[in-house]
Amino acid sequence: MRPPLRWLRRTLFAVVPVVIGVVVAVFFLLRLVPGDPARMILGERATPESVAALREQLGLNKPLLQQLVDFAGTVFLHGDTGNSLIYNVSTRELIVQRAPISLALVGLAVLFSLLIAVTLAVLAARHKDGIIDHVVRVIPTIGQGMPTFWIGLLLIILFAVTLKWFPVGGIGTGPLEPLRSLVLPALAVSLGLIPPLVRSLRSELLEVFSSDFVTTLRAAGIPERRVVFGHILRNASLPTLTLLSVSVSYLIGGTLVVEQVFGINGLGSLLFGAISNRDFPVVQGVALYCALMVVLVSLVLDGLVWLLDPRTRSAS
Amino acid sequence: MPRSSRLRSRVIRGAVPIALVAALALSACAAPATPTDPATSEPQSGGTITLGRVASVTSLDLNNEITANNAFAIDKIFEPLISFDSDGVLTPGLADSWEVSEDGLVYTFALHPGVLFSDATPLTAKDVVFSLERHIAVEGPVPLHASISSIEATDDETVTITLAEAYTPFLSEIAQFSNGIFPADFGGKTEEEFFKNPIGTGPFVVDKWDPAGDISFVKNENYWQEGKPYIDALVYKLIPDGTQLLQQLQAGQINAIDEVAEANVEELSNNADVTVTKTGSWVVEQLFLNTQNEYFSDVNVRQAIAHALDREGITAATTFGTAEVANSLIPPTIQYSANDSGFALDYDLDAAKAALAKSAYPNGFSVSLMIASGNSLRAQEAQIVQEALAEIGITVNIESIDLATFRTRFFAYDFDFMINSGQSDSPDPNGLISFQADPEGFSQSYWTHYTNDKVTELMKQGRVTLDGPDREKIYLDIQEILANDVPYIPIFYPSAIKATSSKVHGLVVLPNESIRFQDAWIEQ
Repeated sequence: MRPPLRWLRRTLFAVVPVVIGVVVAVFFLLRLVPGDPARMILGERATPESVAALREQLGLNKPLLQQLVDFAGTVFLHGDTGNSLIYNVSTRELIVQRAPISLALVGLAVLFSLLIAVTLAVLAARHKDGIIDHVVRVIPTIGQGMPTFWIGLLLIILFAVTLKWFPVGGIGTGPLEPLRSLVLPALAVSLGLIPPLVRSLRSELLEVFSSDFVTTLRAAGIPERRVVFGHILRNASLPTLTLLSVSVSYLIGGTLVVEQVFGINGLGSLLFGAISNRDFPVVQGVALYCALMVVLVSLVLDGLVWLLDPRTRSAS
Repeated sequence: MPRSSRLRSRVIRGAVPIALVAALALSACAAPATPTDPATSEPQSGGTITLGRVASVTSLDLNNEITANNAFAIDKIFEPLISFDSDGVLTPGLADSWEVSEDGLVYTFALHPGVLFSDATPLTAKDVVFSLERHIAVEGPVPLHASISSIEATDDETVTITLAEAYTPFLSEIAQFSNGIFPADFGGKTEEEFFKNPIGTGPFVVDKWDPAGDISFVKNENYWQEGKPYIDALVYKLIPDGTQLLQQLQAGQINAIDEVAEANVEELSNNADVTVTKTGSWVVEQLFLNTQNEYFSDVNVRQAIAHALDREGITAATTFGTAEVANSLIPPTIQYSANDSGFALDYDLDAAKAALAKSAYPNGFSVSLMIASGNSLRAQEAQIVQEALAEIGITVNIESIDLATFRTRFFAYDFDFMINSGQSDSPDPNGLISFQADPEGFSQSYWTHYTNDKVTELMKQGRVTLDGPDREKIYLDIQEILANDVPYIPIFYPSAIKATSSKVHGLVVLPNESIRFQDAWIEQ
């Protein structure tokens, strides 16, 4: 079998159990937690009769295993997790409606993380043990120590409330408005991701800086800029890329929190509301698609490493 | 015409702990707002009000809904026969006038002539009969409790409702949003189709609706109140976070918000671009004691707790002067409130200690106070209760759990005591009393299991006695007994607090916390 196929098969064997595991675990966890969706829909003053009628209507009275079988059936036959108990709309529809904004947020956060991390790491490595290096190594760590929602609130106060450069929240209408609305949330998410990327990239850069082939390149009179960006960075970026792929779950998790802070009605707000209201199908749906997304992004990044680094190819 | 005549004007508490407020109002340096008095300037037409709300509108079926997110969209589309104003006084709605027979059994409503539905078909008595009969048939969560023997269209503009037995709260229940009127036979559509794009007589018509997102309304061009609504459109924008609501309003991204946390009122009031509206609500914040609990089954213990709590202090510290201290279960926005009668047990540590000494547990005990998490006001209240009860030797463990779990626990009576709020749907005292003092009702005295045969008897009398001094005496007596039996301790009456851009005028906030938009207009 050719190596790419082998890689794909091996990955699939890892992916399928993970996704099934996540979904089944979420299914049971949700039902272990106390709380009744019918009560959340009808509130505290509804009579037990109307609550019972609603439970019947929502299929919450069926045995747990029956519910799991129904659920699995819906997932495999329709690629959906059923209608939302709260909104009475198909979960897939809700997710499809809200996924673009969350994906855009993740994408922008990755872009920001890479741009900032690469710049800082190169600066620090070039000025090893100098002031810049120390500053780069210390300041981002402070950012990492602050929770994402807190960073979000600080960014809102500074850039939206005081300076009025960006909207305080929501997604505006108009061609460029959504992008403008995503800048602060994406920055908030990326600030937590940048420090480990910078650290990894910096040490990797230092190692490559002092390796023989760099000395050879420099001796051959190749311009420094090309040495750094064309050769050193490419070699140093591999472990960082792996680190990024591991951090994807953090990124997606961070996005979910940040959406709440910035009042963005994406997957995060959907999940947050669904958990509070015990909207089982929606929580299961978002968990399913997020698990798929995490796995998918890791796969793509693994593939990227495989393309960039001939060594991984020969190893497998 | 028996109309509720009463309602002392609410005492708005002015002076509050200035230091606390000042500490929170850090960023509020702007000069105080000087809004134009809407009464003196002429309403202008046009514009859109975008109201930020924390929950979306998930259903518009008025007969099957109860929660505020849906109710306060439904009441823009459908209107009942009787309306009420921001003081909770019943006013004409689709019915211009109504008469009640002396035995309290026959109610005759005269419809306002010339009312059109939003599709321009005229409203007739048949529509009223169909709507109310459908409401009774679906047995929804905000029902008519009267035993109704017939609803008849006497002629096109007269509806006669006959009760099997007298039920005085009937008129105030007719004024609830769930008794809104829609076209007979759903205007020829199926129920499902109809409630996706409903037709009513209300000031607004659904334009676009995402059950998990925003809903927008346009004005009903056929609205029967001449010249209203003034605004062209109304948008309910889903912003599921309180801080975001506040910030988007201040940044001008939206021009109204549906709720303001008490702690933020001072800061907002100091912003010249924002107008804050406060109205007395039908909500009562209370400490509920599970009378099935070993300690709380002892009335001496309950009285000791009532004496140990400084309700004024708690109110001032947690609500920043936005709420009124509660001295009785029935708030002043509801008929026959005993708030000024001095029934509540006073804050008096000596009396508290004496009461506890008389109880079976003179040396104190340890109990758990349950609250729903995510509500900073309740968390503060709980801490104050904890400290206050420590003074008399009762150790309180605060148990803060998420709302869904909280509900499951108290519906199962699985709590010692808890902080929560009670709420009336109408300006009649029967609603709160039935929900909180009827041991046979499903809520079993708001899950306190409180049972007092005298109260049960009075409650039943209150339902059938016509409005007047006799009925007033019944409710005052009930409130006095409740104050001494202490199944729960009313702490304060929160205000319904809304905020808008200062360009928005004429906003009417009702005591059920809904906003009436047909009188609202935007300064262009």
